[in-house]
Amino acid sequence: MIANFQWQDARTVQDAIAQLDGKSIVKAGGIDVMDRLKEGLDSPAKLVNIRTIPGLDQIREDAAGLHVGPMATLDQLDKNETIRASYTALADAAGHAATPHIRNVATVGGNILQRPRCWYFRNEQFHCLKKGGDRCFAQQGENDYHAIFGNQICAIVHPSAVAVALVALGATLEVTGKRGQRQIPIEQFFVRPDEDVHRENTLAADELLTAIYIPKPASGSHSAYMKLGEKESFDWPIAEVAVVLGAKPVVVLGAAAPVPWRSAAAERVLAGNPINEDTARAAAKAALHGATPLRNNGYKLPIFETVVRRTILAAART
Amino acid sequence: MAPANRQQDKKKQQIKEEPRAVKEKAQEQTAAQKPGTRNESVYVGIPGAEALTTIERTVPADEPPPLPPNNQLKYIGTRVSRQDGRFKTTGAAKYPSDTHLPNMLYGKFLSSIVPHARVSSVDTSAAEKYPGVRAVHVIENDLLSAQVLDKTKEVQSKYPVIRYSGQPIAAVAATSAQAAQEAARLIKVEYEQLPFVLGADEARKEDAPNVFPAPAAQPETAGGGGGGAKVPQRGNVRGPERRERGDVLKGLAASDVTVEGEFRTQVQTHSALEAHGVVADWKPNMLTVHASTQSTMSVRDELATIFKLPKSKVRVLTEYMGGGFGAKFGAGNVGVVAVHLSKKAGAPVKLFSDRREEHWTGGNRPDSQQRVKIGATKDGKLQAIEFTSHGTAGVGTGAGTAGPARAMYTCANLKTEEYDVFTNASPGTAFRAPGHPPGCFALEQAMDELAERLGMDPLLLRDVNDESPARREERRIGVEKFGWKQKFRKPNSDPGPVKHGVGVAQAVWYRIVNMDSAVEVRINRDGSVETRSAVQDIGGGIKTVIAQVVAEELGIEPRNVQVSIGDTVSPPGPPSGGSMTTTSITPAVRNAAYKAKQHLLEQVKPLLKGRDPASLTLQQLASKLPIEMVSATARRSPEYGKREGMFLGGVQFAQVAVDTETGIVKVEHVVAVHDCGRPMNILQLESQVNGGVLQGISYALYENRRLDRNTGIMVNPNLEQYKILGAMETPKIDAHFIEHYIARSSTDAGGIGEPATIPTAAAIANAFYNATGVRMRELPMTPARVLAALGSLRQGATA
Amino acid sequence: MSEKQNDGVSRRQFLRGSALTAAGTAILNSGLLGQTESPTSNAVGPGPVPITMRINGKDHHVSVEPRTTLADALRDTLHMTGSKVVCDRGACSACTVWLDGMPVNSCLTFALDVGQREVTTIEGLGTPDHMHPVQAAFVEYDAAQCGYCTPGMVMSTAALLKSNPNPTLEDVQHAVRGNLCRCGTYPKVFEAALAAARKGA
Repeated sequence: MIANFQWQDARTVQDAIAQLDGKSIVKAGGIDVMDRLKEGLDSPAKLVNIRTIPGLDQIREDAAGLHVGPMATLDQLDKNETIRASYTALADAAGHAATPHIRNVATVGGNILQRPRCWYFRNEQFHCLKKGGDRCFAQQGENDYHAIFGNQICAIVHPSAVAVALVALGATLEVTGKRGQRQIPIEQFFVRPDEDVHRENTLAADELLTAIYIPKPASGSHSAYMKLGEKESFDWPIAEVAVVLGAKPVVVLGAAAPVPWRSAAAERVLAGNPINEDTARAAAKAALHGATPLRNNGYKLPIFETVVRRTILAAART
Repeated sequence: MAPANRQQDKKKQQIKEEPRAVKEKAQEQTAAQKPGTRNESVYVGIPGAEALTTIERTVPADEPPPLPPNNQLKYIGTRVSRQDGRFKTTGAAKYPSDTHLPNMLYGKFLSSIVPHARVSSVDTSAAEKYPGVRAVHVIENDLLSAQVLDKTKEVQSKYPVIRYSGQPIAAVAATSAQAAQEAARLIKVEYEQLPFVLGADEARKEDAPNVFPAPAAQPETAGGGGGGAKVPQRGNVRGPERRERGDVLKGLAASDVTVEGEFRTQVQTHSALEAHGVVADWKPNMLTVHASTQSTMSVRDELATIFKLPKSKVRVLTEYMGGGFGAKFGAGNVGVVAVHLSKKAGAPVKLFSDRREEHWTGGNRPDSQQRVKIGATKDGKLQAIEFTSHGTAGVGTGAGTAGPARAMYTCANLKTEEYDVFTNASPGTAFRAPGHPPGCFALEQAMDELAERLGMDPLLLRDVNDESPARREERRIGVEKFGWKQKFRKPNSDPGPVKHGVGVAQAVWYRIVNMDSAVEVRINRDGSVETRSAVQDIGGGIKTVIAQVVAEELGIEPRNVQVSIGDTVSPPGPPSGGSMTTTSITPAVRNAAYKAKQHLLEQVKPLLKGRDPASLTLQQLASKLPIEMVSATARRSPEYGKREGMFLGGVQFAQVAVDTETGIVKVEHVVAVHDCGRPMNILQLESQVNGGVLQGISYALYENRRLDRNTGIMVNPNLEQYKILGAMETPKIDAHFIEHYIARSSTDAGGIGEPATIPTAAAIANAFYNATGVRMRELPMTPARVLAALGSLRQGATA
Repeated sequence: MSEKQNDGVSRRQFLRGSALTAAGTAILNSGLLGQTESPTSNAVGPGPVPITMRINGKDHHVSVEPRTTLADALRDTLHMTGSKVVCDRGACSACTVWLDGMPVNSCLTFALDVGQREVTTIEGLGTPDHMHPVQAAFVEYDAAQCGYCTPGMVMSTAALLKSNPNPTLEDVQHAVRGNLCRCGTYPKVFEAALAAARKGA
């Protein structure tokens, strides 16, 4: 049931920011917002519609790299030739999310900022730790789809596939708020449960995500993204991986931890070595070091090993 | 595959009428003729497997002459487009949930969250005062739950005991859906929580909390899958229902090879796309209910009883409905509550479950924990079948899975025991072949293992033990169409990591006839033809089959037959379940059309001035009617021949690919060969088989109703985490049908809905074994379970 | 199985209308409060807001609360019941309509967000007597059983053929991978789509 609210079509970024008083929430594509409203997770006094702000959906590349507006849809990212050619992991992360109809509407900004899919979090009948309650129900509950790293306080997996690719590509986010504008490397944007369990990112209540910058990959660098779900038709991943190969290999796991999980251990195995079955296998093994699976999600370990290995090899082939 | 075209797809077949000893058990005597009957020679046999012959049957005198085999018919047995197709594809079809009546109110439930509680008070005052609210109703009796048999032993309480999370407590009707929802949340419930138990294994323990304080049984109206009446109950365990013949221990002792195994399956929710619901309109002279139901008659009868109305003052309408799969028999809590609200408010009330409520209360297929032990001699002949099943239908009953073990194969020594285990979970209801998909998952894998141990081809093992001539022919056809001999290799033949394999499994179901099947056929003076019956169409296409039968009988095109269904004002119709609809109603349709034609001829013959009526079209004949129309109503006449069990069945072959590194199973190809008596509409039969196979794949690989073990709350009451197969999981499916004439009725048609889904999971499991050399004994075959079975997990455990 | 009760849930709150979140209690105004004065000039609601939506080529004037989805506006306000609400969460696509020719889930779209965009619903694609080629193909190939998913399937398929008149089987599967069917019409949906494409839909 959706609690009633006012609606405001914002005209400019400043106009939108002016409405952010802690009782309003922003609607971009509206996909995650709609779900949260229907599940009673949010009851804002006002919805600030930023779809009406012109110019926020631009995608352009310059010498420095790719500039993506927050309102660019997942479908636009998937179909963009530049992104597919040079920022492949991003195109694939966007192109494999949700369903075609949702991708037509869901925005890259909204996707990065969406809240977790944990079935305790999404269910208003469970007043969990993240929502201000006193316990994480997943710890002793049905944790099949939950985190295998960094999961001792809250076991959500970060819900954004696009974030996994952006972390791998070393993206920077531009955030604009009442106190001005800031740039933040995306890896620092996400918040771990031990830092603050009530949020997943550092976006303040009066801030808007206004741009995403991805540095131009070094020449000879390739990226890949792979997603594995129990179903292919429409399913959240049980494992997803983004890999960038080049001078500095980057390996990021999604659906593994409360934030996109960079694997320094896997990266160390790859760095300076030829990419082949053996190094990929070794890197994949290393990626699972330190995993702390819960009662029901140990199965993710061998799956991640496979997906990490396959993604490394896929990146090597592009 | 060709589209609808009644000229194509007819098998050219010679029918030889050689005298031949038929292995029929019922041979009718031609001696003393009962009055009102006559003798007929009716076709029996399976074209293609054997030469067709005829058998003598005593039939009612007013039955039409027997039909020849399909290749001599014009519309029956061909591909005919659905009558209502163009309304469904354009959004013009109005479903019960699309109904909008003047002054209609919107209903909303308040449901329990806790799984077990005694309610001491329900305060609806705030809800009643809420703007827009016109009525509030507190539920007095959960219609779907089992009831304690000795009422004095039930927990004494003004309100029904809450026994599962999601149990409805009360409902509100208001002028808008939002107002109803907001008001429902204001209902205050005081309660005392009671200890609860969730899984069958836990509930069987000596110290488990009791779900019911005394023996309980699920009433028939709940549409449960069974669970007999007089069955002992100890704690939460109800049973056994035992069937025995011969001596199983002797049989096992006499066996050269014995196979034993345990198998487990999960709870599956029906998840029809249209949720349970009605629009109820209580008016002084008539209660009208637009119901999403599989049985208009069951809704009418139940509401008449509960509200103490004559049946003539209750009308149920179901022109279209969005799926049922067994969950939608009877008025249900939703129907009864909607009527209460409408009566109180003096206005129509629309009450439908939302998707969450649909998962909570819409019914489910119980889970199973099965033990099977079979033994055979070296030649493959089964000597013993021992089968035990436990399972939970929550607060309902009907979890037994021994059907296939009892009915599929010939075996002198058999012992089956079925137990229901009560748990604090929502009640199970009949779900497309109750008990049979899980029962086959166990039995057909045991047979598969037996074949391997005997060094026999699995099909040959079935040939040795399966008496069914239909399945014998289906195996033969399937082997050829599937390419079994080329594809069936030793287990684990591929190096991997992706391994391919093939498997086969069989279905047995029952020919069920519902005698409350009647149809009226009218021929109007302008030659137009109408038919009406209360039967409903849940998607199987009975509406079009009715048109075909009338068309065949009257010599007009099916699209010129106006078919009205789903209205209890019309002659009674059978439920759409048990795969009985086509079996039950088509003879009544044929008989009514035949009678109407007789009436027409009686009326117009004297006016033909000697012309032969066969030289005139129906329109020409009708134009001579001295009165506006002729009509005939016919009901289903009893089956020809001696009463005995008759079966429906099928054989399915599956090819799978198993990614042994990720645990993902992909079904690549299914060949399904089925019988349904006289096939009526090949296009629709293909759709039914597709649907059954796809539901079977979804059951085998993805679906699972999950309860949080600590609170009893369902964690996936949606269509995102309750995983139903989609377009990307759909394999190539080839459906083939045999004609199986059994000379039982004037159409000799049978059903197919259930057989289509019974063997699929078993076939996939057998294919999985063939691919990997590892047997999956638990469903669903998620990556977690597959990897565990393949031994790939080094740490952690599976759900 | 543990017998833990009340894990993290206040006993008193448990059954009270199922609203358990202590923070962020639901705002339970029913829309009768009407339009509220707001600091900026263009906030509307929470009461009904008059909007015009162009649907199937015709302007429709309705008054709906901001929280109203396009699906509910179509079905309950305009009585255009061809689009179905099944999961109400974007997981099944039974509610598919087009916005400026682009297939979207109407259950995930706010009516107030439609704006100037053209809405096309299943009713706008064709009628029983004048079917769109995709609708006709669905009938010919028996791609509808109970029919409840059918409008969504048709809208997804017809959208595909608009942008890709020569799809492969894989293209068709991808186009409907968000459309759920419980009756199992997928194989015949694929056939119907490919046949409609061959005919030049």
